[in-house]
Amino acid sequence: MSTLPSNLLERYAVALQSHLTNPDDTALTRAYELGRSALDDGLGVLDMATLHAEALRIAAVHGAPAAKPVEADKAAEFFIESLSPFEMSLQGYRESNARLTALNEALDQARIAAEEANRELESFSYSVAHDLRAPLRSIDGFSQALLEDYNDKLDGEGKQYLRFVRESAQQMAQLIDDLLNLSRVTRSELKRETVDLSVLGRGILAKLARREPGRAVTTTVQDGMTAEGDERLLGVVLENLLGNAWKFTGKRGDATIAFGSKVSGGLVTYFIRDNGAGFDMAYADKLFGVFQRLHGTHEFEGTGIGLATVQRIIRRHGGRIGAEGAIDQGATFTFDLGGKAFARMKA
Amino acid sequence: MDEKTILLVEDNEKDEALILRALKKNNIGNEVAICRDGAEALEQLSRPDAPLPQLVLLDLKLPKIDGLEVLQQIRANPRTRLLPVVILTSSNEENDRLKGYSFGANSYIRKPVDFIEFAEAVRQLGLYWLIMNQPPPFDRTS
Repeated sequence: MSTLPSNLLERYAVALQSHLTNPDDTALTRAYELGRSALDDGLGVLDMATLHAEALRIAAVHGAPAAKPVEADKAAEFFIESLSPFEMSLQGYRESNARLTALNEALDQARIAAEEANRELESFSYSVAHDLRAPLRSIDGFSQALLEDYNDKLDGEGKQYLRFVRESAQQMAQLIDDLLNLSRVTRSELKRETVDLSVLGRGILAKLARREPGRAVTTTVQDGMTAEGDERLLGVVLENLLGNAWKFTGKRGDATIAFGSKVSGGLVTYFIRDNGAGFDMAYADKLFGVFQRLHGTHEFEGTGIGLATVQRIIRRHGGRIGAEGAIDQGATFTFDLGGKAFARMKA
Repeated sequence: MDEKTILLVEDNEKDEALILRALKKNNIGNEVAICRDGAEALEQLSRPDAPLPQLVLLDLKLPKIDGLEVLQQIRANPRTRLLPVVILTSSNEENDRLKGYSFGANSYIRKPVDFIEFAEAVRQLGLYWLIMNQPPPFDRTS
């Protein structure tokens, strides 16, 4: 065998010859040690058989009468001893294999339980979507029916109350949708694809501009920002962050929104900056909590679920998100998508 | 015009009232047959003597036989396989939309909570499926 370490054959032959001529426990210990070191070198039992045959031939040439039955026994004894480390390691392998199998079974059970829980969550979300919306539709629909069909029987206050009822029903419908989106973000499988954030961001800003054609907003989006991630989920991130920037600059005549990136230490960081209402840094840690809002709904509408959803998506990508701002000085949201290999700039 | 009936498969009587109201508001005077569950809808459609509706408005979550199953059976029956079916549901679950279209729905509409939007959706549905859309030629002999 070409892979046999040359001195192993030499050492084996010497030890074997010594055992054939003067059999004792020291020689057998040598056999065991040689087997051990062969095993450590990655040799197999077939290598050992070849080694043994070679060593026997050498021993015969050097005068050891290997053919006699008693010497054959000694040689066999030596060979067996040299093989015992292999047997032991095989035994160890079998034991750890059995342990692994048991562990795998436990893992399998856990996976089945998790899948079951996921299915339950899914059917729960389904019910939430379906069953909670139906009564809201009735509340809104019949309020509107009252406003239309009994218009002359209602005074101004009565009509105002019905409008409040409708507003609340619609707000709750939005809450349900946002909560469902939040849970979907956690449930759905994360795809990894190359996403052009510049194109995605520009598309979202164009949509916002179409929705409110009266607004004059200066937007700048850096070219060629690509990232590895889930396109749909990163779309949700940008929709929320750019949508917020759009919303919170609503009271400014000279609104500006910038979306760009920076590279430091091989990690790409993206930022979305606006000059809108901003926020008090004292409440910065509350920004990403579910239902947390730093502005009243009379000031800026919203359910307080958007940034929680954004944070969840960023975390699922292995990244981080943070925010800086000051009241009436605008806000800057900064995020990355995790490790160097996961986010990169197009050259 | 009176031949063009709508089959509304809807278990929620309040939704039914809202849909009927929206149709009326939009001057869509077609006769509307109502089925409260999937089994009733399939029974109605399989009656050989009754003429087929021009349009089926199908809810998904229905007692006895759910909407997706009803749709599959409509498509499996040679007599109703080309019948225009519009899914009208609360759900916008990806899975429902995927299955709905896979099983051959002609359209999938999510019922809006805002009644003004809801009425507008019903108006457009009526306009499109009862007036603009040319129905498939049904084999009268089968």
